Amino acid sequence: MNSRDSLFHIIRAVIILLIQILVLKRIGLSSLWWWQHGQIFLYPIIILLLPFRMTRHYVIILGFVVGLLIDMFYDTAGVHAFALTGMAYARGILMTWLEPRGGYQITMSPTNHTMGINWLMIYTSISVFIFCFLYFIGEVFTFVYLGQILLKTLITFFMSMIVIMGFHFLFNPKK
Amino acid sequence: MNNLLQFVIRYSAFILFLLLEAVALTLVVKYNKNQKGIFEHSSSIFSGKLYQMADDVYQYNHLQTFADSLASENAQLKQQVFNLERSVQRLIPADKPLDSCILEAYQLIPAQIINNSINQRNNHFTIDRGKKDGIVNGMGVISEQGIVGIIEETGSEYAMAVSILHSAVQISASIQRNGYFGSLVWKETDPAHMILEAIPGQADIRIGDTITTSGYSFIFPKGIFIGKVEQFWTEGGSNYYTIKVRLHEDIARMNRVYVVKYLDENLLKNEQ
Repeated sequence: MNSRDSLFHIIRAVIILLIQILVLKRIGLSSLWWWQHGQIFLYPIIILLLPFRMTRHYVIILGFVVGLLIDMFYDTAGVHAFALTGMAYARGILMTWLEPRGGYQITMSPTNHTMGINWLMIYTSISVFIFCFLYFIGEVFTFVYLGQILLKTLITFFMSMIVIMGFHFLFNPKK
Repeated sequence: MNNLLQFVIRYSAFILFLLLEAVALTLVVKYNKNQKGIFEHSSSIFSGKLYQMADDVYQYNHLQTFADSLASENAQLKQQVFNLERSVQRLIPADKPLDSCILEAYQLIPAQIINNSINQRNNHFTIDRGKKDGIVNGMGVISEQGIVGIIEETGSEYAMAVSILHSAVQISASIQRNGYFGSLVWKETDPAHMILEAIPGQADIRIGDTITTSGYSFIFPKGIFIGKVEQFWTEGGSNYYTIKVRLHEDIARMNRVYVVKYLDENLLKNEQ
């Protein structure tokens, strides 16, 4: 990855973070039923869109850092970092599972453009589900409310998937 | 030794993952205990500015609504002041000036909410006033519609408050009609209701009763409107009522609030 590519990734990440903090967080502030049980997360896409050749270690550390940044704005010390680090680790395992016969084009990122819609759907949905589940476990910090955790996870998962896949179709990122 | 090294290298990604998760969980636990940690200044240094900027834009779009609600609140307050002055004048000797008889017990500092949340287990909000404006930890925050939170951390220009929608908050509240009091807590994920606990079984409660602050603490003055009784029941085997209170303030939409500052606590103690 040359420096121009890195810069592109960083700027895109900052824009996604801003959308998450300034728009998506605010949308959750209405009194409708489903907002009370769920939230919308777009920012996991930052980790999902990292290039294939990035080593696992970098991905995990980035997950932690991005999570902490979001925590600062959500006032939820550690919860987002916990969930996103978990998702970043899972990404490594998922990539091994889902590796196509010819291997990955390692300079590319996992997008609709490079991998096709089926692969992208499986990859994104498993990752986002893991993220949402870990997030609500970290938030409640006990398994006592398992029913509530699952309900919140499902609602948040569907709303986040809509936003994340929307991002893919709208901007159709190639890197 | 060599084997150990091989093991560490082989599973380094997993070890790194465990390490970072442990750090994150420590943060969560530490934060749940006393809300301190490295996030202490987040509300004042970095996120405060950004939220202020975003809020300015949002405010601009809603100026008309804010102006309307402020004007109606103003009218109501003026009316109250006139009526109270009238009643006080009737009570005091005619030769004394009115000003010398009014107790300066507390002061309200107007503030604006620049960051708010309602859909987490423990909710917080940030206001655009801080130490500079005389805000200290532990002050109550109210709005025109009711109580909304308690100041928890103060930066120089911003302060963060625990919302009443927080699992650890307990507020002393009473039923206005008969004076029974209990503690108001938030248990569910529903931002429109809170639960009033420990009201003795002999109390006469009716649906629609008004719940106000009890005044048994220096956080909130007595008699601030909180909400209305929507439903009440006794848990099996208990002698106490559990009351579901519908909050009057819509915490999700509140914007302008007041921080309550006690000027002279001794004065109030003497009075009681």
